[in-house]
Order: sequence, then C-alpha cells, then structure tokens
Amino acid sequence: MVDAGKWWTLPVAPALLLGFAVLAVAGKTALDDRGAGRSVTPVGVLRPLLAVPRALVAQPRRLPASDRLLWRLGVVTVPVAAVLSTLVIPFGNHVVADLSVGVVWFNAMEVLTWAGLWLAGWGPNAAFSLVGGYRFLAQGLAYELPLMFALISAATGAQSLRVTDIAGAQHGLWYAVWMPFAFAVHLTGVLAFSFLGPFAYPAGRDIADGVLGETSGVDRLLLRAGRWLWLAAGAAMAVPLFLGGGAGPGLPAWAWSLVKTVLVLGLLVWVLRRLPALRADRYVELAWVVLLPAAIVQVLVPALVDLGP
Amino acid sequence: MGVTNTVLLWVLGVLALTGGVLVFTLNSMARVAFSLLGCLVCVGGVVTVLGLPYLGVVIVLMMVMEMVIMAVFMIAYMMNPAGLMPMSMVHNTRGALVISGAVLAALVAGIFLVPWPGRTGARPKDSTFQLGMSLMADQMLTMVTLGFVLLATMVGATVLATRRGRYDRFGDELDRRPAEDPAGGGVGR
Amino acid sequence: MGLTDFLVRAAARRPSVLLVTMPGGTPVRLAAERELRCRGWAEASTPAGADLLLVAGPDCPALRSGPDRLWDDMSRPRVRLRAETAEAVAPVLDEGRARLGETERGPYGAVDPRGHGGPPMAGPGEDRDGLTLDRLHLSLGPFLADWPAGLVVRVVLQGDVIRRARLGEPYETGPADPFWSRPWIRASAGEPVPVAEAARRRAAAHLDSLGRLSAVAGWPAEAVAARRLRDDLLEGAPADAVLPRTMRLARRVGRSRSLYRLTWGIGPLTAADAHAAGVSGPAARAGGDVPARYRQWLSDTLDDMRRLDDTTTLLDPVAEESPRGRWDTQRPPSAALAGLLPRLLEGTELAAARLVVASLDPDPDEPAVRRQEVARG
Repeated sequence: MVDAGKWWTLPVAPALLLGFAVLAVAGKTALDDRGAGRSVTPVGVLRPLLAVPRALVAQPRRLPASDRLLWRLGVVTVPVAAVLSTLVIPFGNHVVADLSVGVVWFNAMEVLTWAGLWLAGWGPNAAFSLVGGYRFLAQGLAYELPLMFALISAATGAQSLRVTDIAGAQHGLWYAVWMPFAFAVHLTGVLAFSFLGPFAYPAGRDIADGVLGETSGVDRLLLRAGRWLWLAAGAAMAVPLFLGGGAGPGLPAWAWSLVKTVLVLGLLVWVLRRLPALRADRYVELAWVVLLPAAIVQVLVPALVDLGP
Repeated sequence: MGVTNTVLLWVLGVLALTGGVLVFTLNSMARVAFSLLGCLVCVGGVVTVLGLPYLGVVIVLMMVMEMVIMAVFMIAYMMNPAGLMPMSMVHNTRGALVISGAVLAALVAGIFLVPWPGRTGARPKDSTFQLGMSLMADQMLTMVTLGFVLLATMVGATVLATRRGRYDRFGDELDRRPAEDPAGGGVGR
Repeated sequence: MGLTDFLVRAAARRPSVLLVTMPGGTPVRLAAERELRCRGWAEASTPAGADLLLVAGPDCPALRSGPDRLWDDMSRPRVRLRAETAEAVAPVLDEGRARLGETERGPYGAVDPRGHGGPPMAGPGEDRDGLTLDRLHLSLGPFLADWPAGLVVRVVLQGDVIRRARLGEPYETGPADPFWSRPWIRASAGEPVPVAEAARRRAAAHLDSLGRLSAVAGWPAEAVAARRLRDDLLEGAPADAVLPRTMRLARRVGRSRSLYRLTWGIGPLTAADAHAAGVSGPAARAGGDVPARYRQWLSDTLDDMRRLDDTTTLLDPVAEESPRGRWDTQRPPSAALAGLLPRLLEGTELAAARLVVASLDPDPDEPAVRRQEVARG
C-alpha cells in the first residue's frame, strides 16, 4: 500500500530529484569526457557542479531595456515547476501528495515551462534570446499533444488519473510492454520539455545558446538546473506510468524504484549524444503527421482492452 | 469547508482580481498577457478548492498553453516589441464601461436570484469520475458532435487563412515532387 | 571574506572561455580549441556565460572594438587574455586561471554593458506570407560561436526568417595568411611541397568545417569527434591511426538518417550555379543541398587520408584543389563562396541560414590575401 503525505517526504522528494539530476549530469559529463579523449575520473565528472560557486560570486548583469521582472519570473518557473511535478510521483511506497488527478498535475506543471522559457527568452531584450524563447513554443506545439496522449494511454489502461493507481494496475505486465509506443513518446517528451540533447533547439549553439545566452549568475544556474531537474522528474514519472512503479521480486519497493529510475535516466542520457538537434520546423510535421495519429491509435488499445471483460 | 480552504479561497480570489485589474493598468503586452495568465491560474486554484480538482488543474494546463500562444500573436500583431513603447490597454472607455457594468450587474443579480439547490447526496470522494459521467454518460452524442464541430472549425479556419493551397505546392497537375514550400517539412511530403 | 575567497577559487578551477578569433588567427584558434578540449574547460557562446575572454590571433585595428564590447558585457570575476601565436595558448590559459582565482572580489555593482544599446527598434514591413510584421536589423558575425571568424552578414529578420541579407563591407586586416591554403600558396611561389602535406592539410580543413557544421546542427558529440581527428591529423598522426576513426565518423554522420532528414533541401546549389558563380571545390562537386556538401567533405577526407604516405609526389597547385576550391591568388575560392551567401540566405530561417553558412564555410582569411595582393600590386 502506498503511504501519502508523510511530513518527511516533503524535504526528501526535492533532495532525491536533485540527486538524480546530479547523477544525470555526471553521466553526461563522463560520456563527453570519453568522447573527447579525456580521462574519466569520479571527481572530474562532477565538475559541472562548479557552476554553483561561479553563480554565487558572479556580478549581476543589467541589460538595456530588459524586462527584469518577467525574466526572473521565467527563470524561476522552470526549476520550481520541475520540483512541484514530483509531488505526485510515487517512489517505492511513498508519495508526497496522492492527488486523484496526479497525471494532469504533472502535465500542468510541465506546461508551465512553456511560459517560463518564453519569458526567459523575452526578458533580456536580445534577439537570439528571444528566438530561443519562441523556438521552445514551436517545439512545445510539436511534442505536447503526442505526450498528452501517451499519458492518457497509461491513465486509460488503469482507468484512473491517480499515479499510484496506474502503478498498481500493472500486475506483472508493464505498460511499457504492451504500450511501447506510448512509452517511447513519453521518453521523447521528457527530452523535449527538458530541452536537452536533440531537443536543445531553444538553447542551440547556432543562436549562441538562445534562452541561456544572456543569463548569468544565479539565473543561469537556475535555468540550467531546471533542465536536468526536468529530465530527472520525467524519468521518475516513467517508472510508475510504464514500468510498474516499485513492484518487483526480492528487493524492497524503494530499491526497485531507484533501479528503474536510474536505468531510464541512463537511457535518456545516452540518447542525448546520439542525435543532432531536431529543429521544430522539421519535427513539427513528424509530430503531427506521424506521432499524433499513432499516439491516438495507441490510446485505442487500452480502451478496447478495458471494454473487453 | 475547513478553515484552510476558506483562507485559500479568499487569497486566490483576491489574487485573481488583482491580476484582472493589472490587465488593464499595465502598459506592456507581455506583462498584460502574463497577468491575465496569473489571474486564470488563480481561478483554476479556486475551482480546485471548491472540490473539482480535475477542472481546476485542467484550467491551469490549458490557460498556460493558450495564453503563451496568445501572447505571441498579440505581440506580433500589436507592433509593440519588448514593451519598449508603452501602450494603453483600454480603448472605447465609455462603451466598455457600460457593457462591463451591465454584465457585472446581471451576474451579481444571478447569484442572488437563482434558487440554488441544496446538497442531497453525499459528497463524492473523487469528483473526477462523477464529472466524467455527468458530461459523458447521457450527453455522449452531444460531446462527440461538439468535438467534431470544434475540429472542423479549426481546420476550416486554418484552410481559409492559408494563402497557399495544394496547387501551389504540387503544381497545376499535382505531380511536382517534392512539393515547393518556403521551408521543407520533416516527413518530406 | 573567507567564504567568497574559497568560492572564487573553486569556480576558477574549470573556467569557461569565450574564444574570439581575429582574422588570420586560425592556427591560434585550433591550438586553443585543442587545449580547451584536453582540459575539459567549457567553451562559452556568449559573454554572459564566460569567465575568460581569449582573443586569438594577430591584432586587427579595424575589429578591435569587437572584443572590447564583449569584454564590457562579461560579469566579474573575469580575465581578458590574448594569444598571438599557437605556442602562447597553453601558458596564457594557465595564467588566466591563476588570475581568475585571485581576481578582485565583490561586492560588485551590476555590470552595465555600455557597448550594445540593445537591438535597434524594429519597424513593420511585409513578410513572407504577405502579413505586416516587424523587421529587425541584425548583424551576424564577425564574432559568433562556430562562425567563420571575421565574416559579417547583415540581415533583416522577420521573426526568425531572413528577408534580406548582404555581406558586410570588407575591412583592412594586417598581413594575413590563410592557414588552410598555405601549401598551395607555397607551391604557387615555386617551393616544392609534397602532396602528402597538402592532402593532410585539406583533410584537416574538411574536418574543421565538419566540426563547425555539426556544432551548428546541434550535435556537439560529433563536433568533438571531428575536431579530435582534425587535431590528430595536424599533429602528424599516421594514416592507419586516423583512417578507421574517420570511417566510423563518416558512417555515423554521413549515413545518419536523422541529420539527413533535418538538413535536406537547405541551401540548394546546383553544380551549374556553382560554376557560374566561380565556385570550384567540394561545394561545386557536391552540386546539391547541405547533406550533399557534408557527404562530399567526408568522402574527400577519406580519399585524402589514403594519400598521407605519398611523400614522393610534389603538389601541383593548379591540378590539386585547395580545401575550398582551385587556388587562385587573384580570386581565392572563399570569395566566390561568400558571394553566394546573400542569395542562399534570403528566405531561410535563422537555423537554416547557419547551416548554409557552415556547409559552405568560406574562410575569410582568403579574401584578405586578395586585398593585400591588390594593395601591394
């Protein structure tokens, strides 16, 4: 049975999320080091964390005619929404808030990044930054609907929007097994809303880091941390939705959740390096002409199975 | 309703009203769009506190997407880059005042004049299911028809707004491959 | 201030570097990129994300205000460095890190970038679809991450669609010599140059271009792979050490279906158009869009790597193409490539425009040669 609302889950959930995010960053750095012919050391792979002291000592920057308030609001929204999304994600037998509409809550928090990133691009009043903000909206229009239908597939299978119900409904047969397309679309969506790797289009090198380009100090740290927190949150959400949550033989539930989350996270980090940036002007057609109809057909599968008996 | 919920309801209500007032007093299109968004998110919170979490969270989800897209179009067509040029958000002040005053009066009158029914059954534990049943069970045909009408309207509006048709893309004989587009798509049609 | 001291010193351990290449600074840029890669220091795209500003290459009075403006945009702690030769890069970077760790401490006031007064106000005009939208005047280059150093393209943007593009006016440069075409220049002057050396230089040039294209296409992992191969080649690695790795790179990038899907149809340039514009070399031989050009680079690179051991034949500068086309001191191949840009960029989106520039990759050091020769003659 899943315990909800224990007081200690409130500080533990963000800490766990941060831990997974750091793990993902370290994994990415290790792969990058190997690719660049550098030696991979346990201390070396943690060097992205030096961004923390750098952010704390950096001098604030003021840009001409920037909209400071909206900029700051956007930058803060991204990591905060990522942390809020974890409220409904069960880990082992514990969850912070077992909302009856957990899936919708996760989706709503993820959509907040739309507003956050657009504001982060708009605020500094710089051309490349603004292009980056707009790029995320174009990307959002491409990935969001297939992702919604992937989430609906899992919810339809369990006939519930409660995340713990969905995890509990997969008696031995994971949704990832009989809804593989929804699982894949969910993982693609995770990469997209964390705008990393092939979906780093809003922060592309071709527009001088786009939404990240003009940020410095704590703003930059928050926005960059937000990406990895979202990657970790998306990976953690895939476990109850498609991989049976904490269920598994032998080990306790929290250990299974840990193992599954780390594996999903590892897969995502590996994919980051394997593809070029999927520009929205090309990806949106694939998303609407191929992924969206296929995702709707995928929803039909659990709907028909539910009708069966 | 407990004390927490009552406090939440009032706080969210006041915040929503503040956002609504800001919509007409701020002078940058971006700030206006996002105070309207803030207002609507608070409304979503109010609906959630009133015991309809599904509708509340969906209002937040939909309004964020909608307002961000709307902000893009408003800024594109209002010629007000970056709020560098302050612009007024009120036009036709007198007419607007009359209309909004009348609507407000009608709505407030409605609150007091409608004979609200008292609760007869027990409060459901999960209102989402009841909501779905009351929307879908007897009204399935209406909802499905409405869905198709909405979709057809969207497709129709897009087709009417697009200047280029298939003859522009594929040529007069519809035999030009690949199609001639200002920018190629990802599927390569 | 013990804590601040500690934080500053910790942050300075792996600084991120904004690398600004001056015209003629290609060998210094190559040394700097190699050094940053080996040290694992991040290469920043903008002043906002940088701790060190490294100006690479000879002084260029006409462009001196550029690095100054970038420097004004950087927030403290920051250190400005200059490396005029490739050998100077490593010691200069060491010095920069040391100075960053003991740089003056806060509390600072906010940095007020005085150089750039924000983008100029946009004015309305008709767009691609006949709607009236704002037009923004913007200048791409001369210092932009993964961009030919010194090239300036002035564009009029609507949204992120380029409505008009023209090349910036040429500026005076010091005595520049184009690093990638050096063997051809020497052979033209009558010096005996082994063909193996020219092939090595050409293969490295293509890998450099490919690295830039991969970076612009948002594929940093393959950009690093291409640049590693380039650096190994320039250090004189034997053919059997680099050939298998290049073949793997050609398989991963050249046969990548996703990269093809993302770049097909962008920047079309038929062989006939290329010849009419005076372009020779891989861009003309490829005769197609962006994928045709990067595939041409890959196959040319593989061909060149098979000739690395040919030390007996001498380079014929007329028969053998320089990396960007047939070498002609009066009209170097990059001049024709750059001349194509305005036509190819108009109507493209910003991302596609960056891909077009990267797939042609004109070397601004080459036209500099021409002006110099003209001035001398």
